Amino acid sequence: MSALRQLASRFFSSDTVFARRTVGGIQPLPFKEDSLRSRIMSTPIPQQLTIPIGAADGPEITLLVDIGEQVSKYKKLAVINISAEGVSDVPVHAPTSGVITSIENSIVADHSQQQQLCINLAADGHDEALQLEPQSNYSLLSRTDIVFLIRDAGVIGMGGAGFPTADKLSKCAESAIEFLIINAAECEPYITADETLLRERANKVVLGAQILKRASAARRCIIAIEDTKPDAIDALNQALQNETGLDQGCELVVIPSKYPSGSERQLIQCVTGIEIATGHHPTENGIVMHNVGTAYAAYEAIVEGKPCISRFTTLCGQALKTPKNFEVLIGTTADFLFELCGIETSNKQKSIVGGSLMGSEFGSDKAAICKTTNCIIAASANEFQAPQAEQACIRCGFCADVCPSKLLPQQLLAFSKTADTTQLLGHGLLDCIECGACDYVCPSQLPLVSTYKESKKRIENRRQDLELSDYWQQRFQFHQYRVKKEKDQAVSRKAVVPAKPTLAAEPAVKEQNDEADFISKEQASLDIAAAVARVKARRDEKNK
Amino acid sequence: MSDLMAGAPFQHSGRNIAQLMQTLLYALLPGIFASLWFFGFGILINIAIAITFAVLAEAAMLRLRNRVSRTHLSDRSALVTALLFAIAIPPGSPWWLVALGIVFAIVIAKHLYGGLGKNPFNPAMCGYAMLLLAFPLEMTGWHIPFEVINGPLTVDNLGIPALTAERELLSPLSWGGFKQALLLAFPFAASGAIDISEFVDGLAMATPLIEFKMAGKSALLAARESGVSLFARESETAWEIINISYLLGGLFLLYKRIISWHIPLAIISTVFVLAALFYAPGHVAIYGTPYLHLFGSATMIGAFFIATDPVSAATTRPGKLVYGIIIGVSIYSIRVWGSYLDSIAFAVLFGNFCAPILDQYCRPRIFGHGLRSKTDRARPNEAPVKS
Amino acid sequence: MLPVISHWLTQFVIGSSLLLFIAFALLKINRYLLQQLTTQKSLVNRINRALPQTQCGQCGHPGCLPYARSISLGEASNKCPPGGQETILELAELLNEPVRGLDPAHGQFRDFSVAVIREDECIGCTKCIQACPVDAILGGPKLMHTVIASECTGCDLCVEPCPVDCIDMINQLAPSISQTTTPYFDRLSSPGVSS
Repeated sequence: MSALRQLASRFFSSDTVFARRTVGGIQPLPFKEDSLRSRIMSTPIPQQLTIPIGAADGPEITLLVDIGEQVSKYKKLAVINISAEGVSDVPVHAPTSGVITSIENSIVADHSQQQQLCINLAADGHDEALQLEPQSNYSLLSRTDIVFLIRDAGVIGMGGAGFPTADKLSKCAESAIEFLIINAAECEPYITADETLLRERANKVVLGAQILKRASAARRCIIAIEDTKPDAIDALNQALQNETGLDQGCELVVIPSKYPSGSERQLIQCVTGIEIATGHHPTENGIVMHNVGTAYAAYEAIVEGKPCISRFTTLCGQALKTPKNFEVLIGTTADFLFELCGIETSNKQKSIVGGSLMGSEFGSDKAAICKTTNCIIAASANEFQAPQAEQACIRCGFCADVCPSKLLPQQLLAFSKTADTTQLLGHGLLDCIECGACDYVCPSQLPLVSTYKESKKRIENRRQDLELSDYWQQRFQFHQYRVKKEKDQAVSRKAVVPAKPTLAAEPAVKEQNDEADFISKEQASLDIAAAVARVKARRDEKNK
Repeated sequence: MSDLMAGAPFQHSGRNIAQLMQTLLYALLPGIFASLWFFGFGILINIAIAITFAVLAEAAMLRLRNRVSRTHLSDRSALVTALLFAIAIPPGSPWWLVALGIVFAIVIAKHLYGGLGKNPFNPAMCGYAMLLLAFPLEMTGWHIPFEVINGPLTVDNLGIPALTAERELLSPLSWGGFKQALLLAFPFAASGAIDISEFVDGLAMATPLIEFKMAGKSALLAARESGVSLFARESETAWEIINISYLLGGLFLLYKRIISWHIPLAIISTVFVLAALFYAPGHVAIYGTPYLHLFGSATMIGAFFIATDPVSAATTRPGKLVYGIIIGVSIYSIRVWGSYLDSIAFAVLFGNFCAPILDQYCRPRIFGHGLRSKTDRARPNEAPVKS
Repeated sequence: MLPVISHWLTQFVIGSSLLLFIAFALLKINRYLLQQLTTQKSLVNRINRALPQTQCGQCGHPGCLPYARSISLGEASNKCPPGGQETILELAELLNEPVRGLDPAHGQFRDFSVAVIREDECIGCTKCIQACPVDAILGGPKLMHTVIASECTGCDLCVEPCPVDCIDMINQLAPSISQTTTPYFDRLSSPGVSS
């Protein structure tokens, strides 16, 4: 059957793309209407911006500003050196003009749930900007130029993974790219940032897609969008008709609405029919995928010359009176946005970053928006069903039916409970994309995904421990080898020395040697004793 | 760290075990009504006794195991076990038989293994199999209410009453039928004047398959040949209708996606194929028609309601197919070559034995696994393009 | 009503399919066993892999491998404090033994800690360098020494010989836990800010 499908896909791949049936998936209630009612709003400039520049134990950061420095809008504040060679730097720019007040750890609205190093910027309200250098005709730029400009603008994957876009583009140079897929599926409930962006600025997104297509030298560009977004589809069709790019145009594929069809591998399978093997990168199969937001950021970076200082973020949830989509400056805090949406503080129970299925709760409303914050939900107390009492797994298999990776969540749960690493790996725990579809359908209300996350962490820790212990073992073996070699050398030196002199001279030489040995040993022990005395004296002094 | 992780998906479908069990109960209704129509109130009395004892046993066990009785009782799993057990027991069985079976099912087959979700064997079928081994006589007769009109009954050499004009069937739903069923279930309530032993011993009807096996002829075919209308209240056609009702209930479950099609389809097709292969009219060996095998006994209940019990069945899709085939082969072989008349219980229990190993070895291919060669083929030409 | 298939044909079909099935199963089992034979490591190796390789000698053996050898010859497997409960469980499973608690004669469980030399107190005697089983201490005679934190196994062996007691075991999270799964993170590169 799959062979047939593949044959069909090969047959059609020259001219048409079509959506294929994907494995598993769910159709949760979308809850998107509220935030879709508004247009994209731009926020006023907040007085204080907290611009995240990297996780505490993340990559090295080069700061380009000092505390107390006055900076203009678009000024580079820091560079995150993701790899040691300096090829994948991600610069961070000032979203507005103002003074750097401090650099400290604070909470960021992203999935890491860890504090990040942030630059605190007190805005002066003047919004004085540096001169931008727009490139009105991107088709005159070479591939490397585009990649350079995108890197310089600090564009990273806006979908959530946050992988530097320039890196992804330069990776494309390693293999011939057949498909560039622009991911507009946005299948997770609550999130509407991409949909509103497409609805209002489809032209720019299509231009951005063209730029990405040129930069990755892709043969075809496909924009994949769910069939539940008719307005965005209309806007895209309009934009595709108007487009006047030099390259061959983009194509639009409408895929059936199903969560998690927006997941990279699932979407690739849906659109191209190619199943990416585990552990392989899509570029190996000639496919690269970018998010709609990334395409827009690429457009801004090239055509407007503007660095990535803002992103589109959905604010929704029952605790907000008017849910909206904002074009929000990086570093704006969540409470500032909540105020703009009319928050009922008493009603708010928790704040979630991301959608309702893959999002994570963040503790403080002071959390800053970073480049990957696509949605913030201010959930009211009765918005999400309080976790009900867990019941026993009845092995109904609903979870296996909806799993997009064709795993067996019920078995994984059982093996997680017994911490059976071999079975967990054999059952493909590491292929779990943590989409939460199994949790969603589980009639026993079991916390499947969080169990898997813990198991993954445990396995990863164990793997690292083993790696470390292997390393230590190597070191120990080398140490033993070294000690033995030194001993052998000492023995051979001793063996060689008496062979040289004459028989008569031998005792004298030995005596001399012994004496010298003795003297040096005595001297050493005296030295040590003296040093010990000194340290003791100093320590006593200190203690007094 | 873990408390931050908790509750990654916040949204839930709202489905819960109680709902599933409720749907299952609804799906059993057509079959129960059909049984009621043909066998009278005996089936309802069975159900009432079974439910009473099941709930009592469940509550007692939950109490002993220090579980919150209210939440666990409300999952309705005990109800489902009781109902499945009650429809498998012949109507007109004495109360102690039903009670013993269901208490065995709930206490030993379910809770001693760790309660809901942990039992390796289908509790209802465990109870049934226990009764079948311990009380074979009581378990093989299906009582149909009747009234003796004249003279003693003639019984053939196998102890089966002859279908003569000397008795007249009572309407099972009549007052007389109800009284008879009550007396059968609670023999102690009978006054000395009425000798119930008469209709207990002699007048139970076996299922057509049993009758067929013993008498060596197809009662169903006979009934059809003699032109009995489909809805006549004769035991021979009764099973047909009852099986069709359960089939409808099963289709409803499939429609509601409570069960998947794998197990029922595998069982039914296996039984059908085996019966078709072995059926040889005029041959000395007695095998029975495929139709008789599918609709002459409890095949449909077994395929849609009993074998699909998720806890004890295989849970992977390929595993489910193999599980269904194993059960189908067991059903057929126990019926045809085995010494037990009713094969569903043993076949399902045998399937349950195999389920864990099926789960381990019959697994679907994980997305992105095992396609090294495919990827190579799908990979376009390797030469990097220089811009 | 249905096609009549004669008896012998039925038996032939069933018999041959059974034979095929059995042959297939035997082939599979054979392959599995061969694979097991080739991938199976010796018991000592597997025990050694379960040990934490800190080479601390708290079990009374000079290093983890000698202890692994000794376990394979029947010594108790609960003498390894740095491995924690996990090692005890793993060894018990590997050896098919009941799980026993840690033998208190050989120490107690402790969080992972790294040796740190208070450098102003170090007199440069090189005694710790000689004691270190993994050569994680740098320094020369009469010169200040320091511990390479990323190489230190936390074995404690350098603390005893120091004549001035200038080595502390600084408690820290095990290196594996402090790491996140970010693909950019490198175990040996120390994170920090440089301006």
